[in-house]
Amino acid sequence: MRKLLNILLSGVLVIGIWSCSKEVMDDINKNVNDPTDVASNLIITDVMTRTAFTITGSDLAFYSSVYIEHNVGIWNQSYNAEIRSGEPVSATTYNNSWNSMYRNLADLRLIIVKCSEGGSEEGNFHTLGIAQALNAYTLAILTDLMGDVPWSEALQPGVIFTPTLDSQEAIYAEILQLVDAAIGNLGQSTVFPPLGGQDFIYGGDTEKWLKFAHGLKARYLMRLSHKSPAYADVIASANQSFSSSAEECKFLYNGSTTYSPFYRFFTDRDYFGASQSLADKLEERSDPRDTIFWKAHPASDGFEFAPNGSPVQVQGRYSISAISTPTAPTYLLSYHEIEFLKAEAHVRLGDLGAAKTALKNAISAAFQKVNIGLAAAAADDYFDNVVSSRFDSNPLAEVMNQKYIAFFEEEAIEAYNDYRRLSAMGDNVIELANPLNSSQFPWRFTYGASDVTTNENVRSAYGDGTYVFSERVWWAGGTR
Amino acid sequence: MLVFLLVAGISHAFAQTRTVTGKVTSSEDGSGVPGVTVFVKGTTTGTVTDLDGNYSFDVPPEARTLVFSFIGMRTQEVEIAGRSNINVTMETDVVALDELVVTAFGISRERKSLGYAVQDVDNEAIARTSNSDLLGALQGKIAGVDIKPSSGMPGASSQFQIRGARSFTGNNTPLYVVDGMPISSEPAYSTLNSVTGADISNRAIDINPNDIESIEVLKGQAASALYGIRASNGVIIITTKSGKSNQIGRPVVSISHSSSFDQVSRTPDYQTTWAQGTGGNYVPTSSMSWGPRIVDLPDDPNHGGNNFDRPGYFRVPQLELAGLDPWVLPKVYNNWDDYYQTGYTMSNNINVSQATNEGHFSLGFSNTEQTGIALNTGMTRYNVRANAERNLNDNFKVGFSANYSTVDIDKLSGANDGSLTGILAAPSSYNLAGIPYHRPGEPTRQIYFRGGSFDNPYWVPDNNTFNENTNRFFGNAYINYKAILDHSKTLNVRYQAGADTYTTHLQDIFGYGSRGNSRGVIDNYGKTNSIFNSLLTASLDWKITDDLDFNVMVGNELNHENTKEYEETGQNFNFPGWNHIGNASVVSANEAQWQRRIVGFFGSFSLSWRSMLFLNATGRNDIVSTMPTDNRSFFYPSVSLSFVASELNALRDIDWLSYAKIRASYAEVGQAGTYYDNFFVSPTYSGGFWIGNPIQYPIGGISAYIPSYSLYDPNLKPQNTKSYEIGIDLKFLDNRLGIDYTFSNQNVTDQIFPVPLAGSTGSGTLVMNGGAITTDVHEIMLYTTPVRTRDFRWDININYTKLTNMVDELAPGVESIFLGGFVTPQVRAGIGNTFPVIYGTSFVRDDAGNIVVVDDPGAWNHGFPQAGDPDVIGEASPDFILNGTTAFTYKSLSLSTVFEWKNGGQMYSGSNGLLDLYGMSAVTEDRESTFIYEGVKPDGTPNDIVRGGPNDPRAIERLYADVLSNVDEYYIHDNSFVKLREISLRYQLPRNIYKTATAGISLYARNILLWTELRNLDPETSQGNTNMGGSFERFSLPQTTSYGFTLDITF
Repeated sequence: MRKLLNILLSGVLVIGIWSCSKEVMDDINKNVNDPTDVASNLIITDVMTRTAFTITGSDLAFYSSVYIEHNVGIWNQSYNAEIRSGEPVSATTYNNSWNSMYRNLADLRLIIVKCSEGGSEEGNFHTLGIAQALNAYTLAILTDLMGDVPWSEALQPGVIFTPTLDSQEAIYAEILQLVDAAIGNLGQSTVFPPLGGQDFIYGGDTEKWLKFAHGLKARYLMRLSHKSPAYADVIASANQSFSSSAEECKFLYNGSTTYSPFYRFFTDRDYFGASQSLADKLEERSDPRDTIFWKAHPASDGFEFAPNGSPVQVQGRYSISAISTPTAPTYLLSYHEIEFLKAEAHVRLGDLGAAKTALKNAISAAFQKVNIGLAAAAADDYFDNVVSSRFDSNPLAEVMNQKYIAFFEEEAIEAYNDYRRLSAMGDNVIELANPLNSSQFPWRFTYGASDVTTNENVRSAYGDGTYVFSERVWWAGGTR
Repeated sequence: MLVFLLVAGISHAFAQTRTVTGKVTSSEDGSGVPGVTVFVKGTTTGTVTDLDGNYSFDVPPEARTLVFSFIGMRTQEVEIAGRSNINVTMETDVVALDELVVTAFGISRERKSLGYAVQDVDNEAIARTSNSDLLGALQGKIAGVDIKPSSGMPGASSQFQIRGARSFTGNNTPLYVVDGMPISSEPAYSTLNSVTGADISNRAIDINPNDIESIEVLKGQAASALYGIRASNGVIIITTKSGKSNQIGRPVVSISHSSSFDQVSRTPDYQTTWAQGTGGNYVPTSSMSWGPRIVDLPDDPNHGGNNFDRPGYFRVPQLELAGLDPWVLPKVYNNWDDYYQTGYTMSNNINVSQATNEGHFSLGFSNTEQTGIALNTGMTRYNVRANAERNLNDNFKVGFSANYSTVDIDKLSGANDGSLTGILAAPSSYNLAGIPYHRPGEPTRQIYFRGGSFDNPYWVPDNNTFNENTNRFFGNAYINYKAILDHSKTLNVRYQAGADTYTTHLQDIFGYGSRGNSRGVIDNYGKTNSIFNSLLTASLDWKITDDLDFNVMVGNELNHENTKEYEETGQNFNFPGWNHIGNASVVSANEAQWQRRIVGFFGSFSLSWRSMLFLNATGRNDIVSTMPTDNRSFFYPSVSLSFVASELNALRDIDWLSYAKIRASYAEVGQAGTYYDNFFVSPTYSGGFWIGNPIQYPIGGISAYIPSYSLYDPNLKPQNTKSYEIGIDLKFLDNRLGIDYTFSNQNVTDQIFPVPLAGSTGSGTLVMNGGAITTDVHEIMLYTTPVRTRDFRWDININYTKLTNMVDELAPGVESIFLGGFVTPQVRAGIGNTFPVIYGTSFVRDDAGNIVVVDDPGAWNHGFPQAGDPDVIGEASPDFILNGTTAFTYKSLSLSTVFEWKNGGQMYSGSNGLLDLYGMSAVTEDRESTFIYEGVKPDGTPNDIVRGGPNDPRAIERLYADVLSNVDEYYIHDNSFVKLREISLRYQLPRNIYKTATAGISLYARNILLWTELRNLDPETSQGNTNMGGSFERFSLPQTTSYGFTLDITF
């Protein structure tokens, strides 16, 4: 029996020592569940989804929608935003969006590195160009809403823990460079296969991405109008962009595995009521869209608009958007926006005839949006009977108000950007009704809490958050 | 088998017998002692003394020795030597001096030799009030330990920490060792942010408290250092019932039954005046109760019967939807009391055990059936247990221990998925129990008093499912070789192999028609977790001289864990009535497999001199698979010293001092992290505003992969805990008074945790070293027997714990770490704060800390406070915890209680906030008086702005609904409490009910809340099975108070 014991003991010891050798342990700790690298075409797919759903489509748009009075916040966070209590100044309000934007930028940088010189997909110019255009797009939303933000030191996790802020002016210079680089790369030929189905937006059609890049340039040049007006360049770029809504850059939802964010915001949260001030603008114009934009809340039998700034905090009472359908698209850049940009630039340059043509095209496209569904004829009637005379009496006001109405409700961020730019330029043509705006219009969005709590550079820029009510971003006449 | 054993046992009864009589008296006052067990040594033949201490029974002719035993008195063995009358004087034995305790790897040591604190809890203390949850049964009984239950739901998770936390986001749960085999006790899944879904049980729920013979708690790192990297959080050594302590001979069968009735421990104080609505108007779809007076509802312009020819009535549209007469008389309902039912818990235990000269065995079977206080909650558990040991010859001994359990738990969801949110704050004017919860003939179309995503609580049981089903086996087999080498040396070699494997299946279903997910979602997930453990130890005892003993031990342990997880999620059921993955129109699935291995080599040596001075040192080297290749191997030492001063001649003569010991120890123990090469993941879109997943890959057959938002530092090294502990144990007055004091300090450095990165770095977290936390703990155990007479005895045990857990350092630039909750409020670890703290929006305050109100005449919030910056708004950790037991024994009757006083500490109470926001709490009852909010105006003068009154009727509503509801600090409450955790009255029948059969009956109650600073709710109600537990409550299921009885028979 002792012999047996000795054998057992030595056996256990040998196994014990072998069982913890480097090779055995490495093998045990191997992650068999996740890939350690993938090709750029598999990464860019989700950049598009995230850009549409998370960055352009949801939280930032929801809050913009409240501030710009496309909707009225009637419950919880949206209500707090409506009555300017907490939400507009809190670092946590936009934290999820803040993180998503930088995550987008990080993924895009990875793609750009892969597709650039020395990368594993060197010469993949089309994916590179798309990535640069989307990079410019995300970076612009980031700085448009938040002003000076980390950029040149950003995106180095584990290396730089506390990136410093870059000025919005410098970031805008880079945005325009990225757009130009995108235009250059999208024009090159490549041996890499097109993105095809991995491209949810254009199915790999490089020509359309090129038009998107030109359209972005038009948008960003217009954005800087208060600082450096370049209306002729806006028109030149816009002319190289979309020529119909079939070419516009929008993300479509299928209503089963993907849902339109405004639709889900209603089903999951039910925080919005129909905006009284927007309804007033439509009524003033006898706009046929007023029967299309809204419907009674399913839990209510009556039709009621929510007063801007002073709704009662109650769900199931106020009417709601009728165009928040499960498949309502998210527009990254719409054809009607391109036409509105041209219309404004022509007005600014005094070419009212060209402006009117562009405006008519824009309204027609806005009427025919998939979740509006009006005919071109209805748009023409409306233009001839209502818009035309209003345009004649105040061209800029009508262009900008029509753009504001057309942007309901998916393009709230861009409506918010326009309002701030117009205000800086002294063109207060869009009237908002929230009485709190006299002292508490949020001129910008706060930084994300993930930086405010871990990055002292952002923390000191954030302060107590009340700067949002007083300081405008650089392109809107502020300093940062 | 069982029949055979019974027959074998009974066969003793046939031989010629003779009668022995006598009296047992007490050494204190000479009076007779009743209830003393008298039996023939080596058999079960025996009796119990009567009320005067007399006994008489027949003994077999071969009987040599009688054993006299009684709890609290020293057991005596008396030679019969032909006598037929034997009188015995028994001495009291308050504290057994040479008590043996089990330390690491089952090593038995005398308590006095230990240089660190250990504390034991015996079966009686655990099972006294038949708590089905082991952690619940330990509450209030151990110093230095904090057990925080999450709710009164059957199977609810608890947080169990010994001497505070060592890890911010990782595991702080002690290692459980059952019959020598380490088993897993953590939840199979974390509740993560803990603001959606249902609670997930700790795997300690698989253990039936009634199977436990005793529990030894190794608190400090020095005590547990031999267990290496897994034992930095202390060790719970559980010994299950065996036949080892039986008298040799007949098998012993014990049967017990327990029934208890559970009630919700507290009903919130509701306002009973005001109806559903807002702004003083009746709004039948509102979640709030800021409407008109309930008695005035018939006057409502839109729904009041006085305007529609139904004087005195008002119209409830929900009744219309249900196809019923909508006109009802105004009435006040208590929807809370209407909903909660009396829960019922039943447990049955059967245990058979026997000891023979060759070994012993024990078999146990038990079941627990629990029905919760909330509809459709409950737990069913079956446990089967067997262990046996057999001596093969003088040297070899083999044995095994095996445990099987099956646990099925039906739960409900909390927080933002709160199943019972509607119960908490339903308007007093709405008859939630009485109005149908779905439309006639359409069971999936809900009728409810409010909008939003919460489901009607009465609709939930038939449509939503939260279920956990776990099957588990753990056990081990061993062979032990013992050889006496010579008169002074003994060698002991033991090899043990064991397994712990469980498979758990969880199901979360929001059925078709659920308001957050109109066509429903289903999530089926689970894992199989298997641990193999191999343990070899060899030890040598060497009595070098009469005064000097030496012991050395070496060993090897291999622990290998295999995990396989699966998850299948479905959305949008095609048709109602079949909430099954096969009916989901969008389905996705995933699986994952992991392995971990720890191989440890360890050794210890100890020296003892004259039962006075004891030195013990240990060392262990662990090699861990989950660390980076070059950072896998670590060594941890410990050393401890015990000095029994009362053995000194100078102290021996002091009458009042019976025992004095000074002890000190030092140890280092690590905790490994989990390292992987950075990887890509499939994107997910849950969280934020979304219920479920609004985007679900693959989209139209297209997948995508993105870099994981969690990164790993390739230079990861293990976190290190350095700790020291000093203590003194004193016993006075013939051991009638004892006090143990321990001070310990833990210094945890190089914490491993997912360091939150600034979003601008493009990533979320980096698993790296960083951060330090120190813990100072004062523990005092006091035990005394103030009264001790012939019939009456009073014992008191008191544990006092004062613990300071400070976060000294986090990763560079990081101010805080998220543990759970929302963006705000959240539970987090913050530098310079105790652990953990609650962070959220604070009040705007001046430099002196006064709340600053708005001074803006005409503004709606004139005179009201305002939301300020996010800040630390509450500290969860208490100032001290004082708990203990006291027992009164009178003859065969004993009354024992366990109490606990937690002083200090705060929690976030989302439910209290909601009650105020919705105008349902009693504090919102008075809406007509004027008031001045306590604070100062911006100029620093005391606030004198009067709000409210007849001309300002909405002031109270706007204060609660629009101001305070947005200030997280308002939701923070002190939650000190005093609880009677247990009270039980036991009557042990003084005479055998039949031959050798004894019986007892106990009546008990649990969790009687005596006093708390928290309003409306039981303070031990919270969200999460993670380190945030106990500090964050939001529509969590309420706690219960239980009343029950136990019957037990042993023969």
